[in-house]
Amino acid sequence: MNMKWLEDWFEKIEPKGKWSWLGSTYEAFHTFAFTPKTVTKSGSHIRDAVDMKRSIIIVVIALMPALLFGMWNIGYQHYMSVGTLSTFSFPLFTCFWFGFLRMLPLIVVSYAVGLFIEFAFAQVRHHEVNEGFLATGLLIPMIVPVTTPLWQLALAVAFAVIIGKEVFGGSGMNFLNPALVARAVLFFAYPTHMSGDKVWIAADLWGSDAIAGATPMGDLAAGMRPSASALDMLIGTIPGSTCETSFIAIALGAILLLMTGIASWRIMLSVFLGGGAMGLLFNLLYTINFPLSTYLELTFYYHFLMGGFAFGAVFMATDPVTAAQTNTGKWIYGLLIGAFAVLLRVCNPAYPEGMMLSILFMNCMAPLIDHCVVARNIKMRERRAVK
Amino acid sequence: MTETIKIKKGLDIPLDGAAERHIVDARTIERYAVKPPDVVGFMPRLLVAEGDTVTAGQPLVADKHDPRLTLPSPVSGTVEAIVRGEKRKLMEVVVVGERLKVKGETTQVSPLTSHLSPQSPVWWMLKERPFGTIANPDHQPKGIYISLRDTNPLAPDLEFALQGREHEFEAGVKALEAFAPVHCVRAEGPHPAGNIGTIVAALDPINKGECVWTVNAQDVANIGRWCLTGEYRPERVVAVGGPAAKAPHYYRLLCGACLQRICDTQLIDTSYPSLASPTILTSPIRIISGSVLSGTQITANGFLGMYDQQVCLIEEGDQYDFMGWLMPGLKKYSFSYTFLSGMLRPFKALEPMMPIKPTYSFNTNVHGSVRPFLFTGSFERVFPFDIYPLQLIKACIVGDVELQEKLGIYEVEPEDFALCEFIDPSKTEIQTIIREALEVLRKEATA
Repeated sequence: MNMKWLEDWFEKIEPKGKWSWLGSTYEAFHTFAFTPKTVTKSGSHIRDAVDMKRSIIIVVIALMPALLFGMWNIGYQHYMSVGTLSTFSFPLFTCFWFGFLRMLPLIVVSYAVGLFIEFAFAQVRHHEVNEGFLATGLLIPMIVPVTTPLWQLALAVAFAVIIGKEVFGGSGMNFLNPALVARAVLFFAYPTHMSGDKVWIAADLWGSDAIAGATPMGDLAAGMRPSASALDMLIGTIPGSTCETSFIAIALGAILLLMTGIASWRIMLSVFLGGGAMGLLFNLLYTINFPLSTYLELTFYYHFLMGGFAFGAVFMATDPVTAAQTNTGKWIYGLLIGAFAVLLRVCNPAYPEGMMLSILFMNCMAPLIDHCVVARNIKMRERRAVK
Repeated sequence: MTETIKIKKGLDIPLDGAAERHIVDARTIERYAVKPPDVVGFMPRLLVAEGDTVTAGQPLVADKHDPRLTLPSPVSGTVEAIVRGEKRKLMEVVVVGERLKVKGETTQVSPLTSHLSPQSPVWWMLKERPFGTIANPDHQPKGIYISLRDTNPLAPDLEFALQGREHEFEAGVKALEAFAPVHCVRAEGPHPAGNIGTIVAALDPINKGECVWTVNAQDVANIGRWCLTGEYRPERVVAVGGPAAKAPHYYRLLCGACLQRICDTQLIDTSYPSLASPTILTSPIRIISGSVLSGTQITANGFLGMYDQQVCLIEEGDQYDFMGWLMPGLKKYSFSYTFLSGMLRPFKALEPMMPIKPTYSFNTNVHGSVRPFLFTGSFERVFPFDIYPLQLIKACIVGDVELQEKLGIYEVEPEDFALCEFIDPSKTEIQTIIREALEVLRKEATA
């Protein structure tokens, strides 16, 4: 494809003189259209073809199965609850279109607010615009209830980008996962919009009252066994945050992330191992009639299927910036995330979802874990020198 | 005694244009240069002036700090030019050789001086780690390491290069044994297995305050020849190749040889069948003395680097790539599996059946813009040291000397990070960062 005309156009409009302050914005769009023609000046004369844009776009592509399924499920849950749809007849497109229309404003608001702030910061700092938000901006609407008011979402995104990321110096310098910061802000600032049984199913766009529909975790927190079957949870035809319900759709994304090596298999695997181990421990307590909650009898792998466990393990815990950075550290980090998530779910009914808090907590602990791992290497070196 | 080590971590970059195994004798090249900037930490003091007559092995420059360390003329002839760069930094001393003497058969034998010492013209071939300077005769190295295999992309096969010089090699090893135990190491595994840094780290890592000496295998033979005959003839069998080379093969050169004639043959002469690169070249060609991963760019009439044993010709990549980050990328090479070419890599056995096959075209494009470190865990896969590479790089960026020492800076050289730099999606200049950090440490150590 000959794109010479576009190359020329970009070179023609390059901001100079009194417009040169627009450099970052120009650079962002230019490198979006063309990988730059920069050649190596020092060090290795050849470079790997992968860059940040490619790496981030893989994450975005990996989110697609969950996003598309989530859109469909929003419609499916709606029509199921208003009763115009029976379990055995769910027109694919009607459900998807309904969900698409409900998801689109969330995505647009998230990207618009976040990218505006990103561009503004890059512009002020004369930095290049970092691609990181392309993934974050899509992750945020995927983990909130579909009924989240847009102004709340905008506020949360702004908070996450500014306080969660930019004050530390932007992508790569933050220590908390920005998408989860946004969700945590919503969770603590507007709890009534983020939990309970009235927020998970979208009502008609104009008017009608909120629709009740409890998530499996809501059931459990209320002391009941979940009404949804394991198969429902596996496929994802249950109420929940917009795009985190389907284990299968998330698994498809996980396959892409692992195949391309973008996400750490160590973290992903160890989160499930940690969660599974904790779940088994509680199952064991159940057999000795330990008085705690109905949660104890929940077979351990149900934890993987419910709530945000799988989504968190695949897309959130593996955020390389906020995870542990050493390979040993990644194992510890993942195991503890899984274990804490299940612990919070079972032992703290005030927070039905433990995954978000568990990951944020371990984000804070990751530097400490790395410090200990690296300290061991330093000790080894010191011992060797003395010998 | 030859030792063997096995390395698992690393990467062999599938670069086209490996040299064919036949050697063309190019010792009749007339112009030679001694390049002080190639020698780390060398502060040159000129000992000759333009127009002076010099003999092979006669010192041209000496180190200001230690006058025993000199860089000798590779041939007998006259000093043609003294080339200075920015701030009058001495870049090259160019010597034009006399044809007869270049062949070297007539130089007189002087057995009296043939005992290896810091004053010997071959002493500069000994390098010291940490820092990669010329071996300091006042230091006691804990070992002298020789790598018997160069694993750099398109590097020469050292066994082939040393054919017929075995007795000189042995004499060289014997001469070195007077200073410290000599380890000749054959490393197996992907690059950087053959790097001297990898070998030392695998056998006996350098601690603070210690040092080791290292020599290129070909230079061991040169040292041996000098010890046996008293003749200074720094010969190198050099692999000339790369995706842009017309007929990659080996040349027998003297160190510091002018590469103009070779480049002319490789780039312009069309009488050779085009072996390596069937595509039509659209960009200018970059000539690299040394490995494509850590060598130096030279001009078409430039000279072979002091310690280099390969020359790589590669296309410049100064072209835009439309939506490069989004395209499937069947022709792009990446260590990651993020491009179609990489995703197909595990199915290499099925390649004959594929309708379209991955073919890699390498050039000098950076393939992206510089970013902060975001992704972690890939450096460790190509970095066979017991060192945390990302943490060490960050310690170097912030200039925390104490932390660098704790993390093992003395065990590495910039070239050991070449693969990390190659695969880095953040496009950080890692070798420069390491070099600058080492430079600070070296100045502190010598001050």
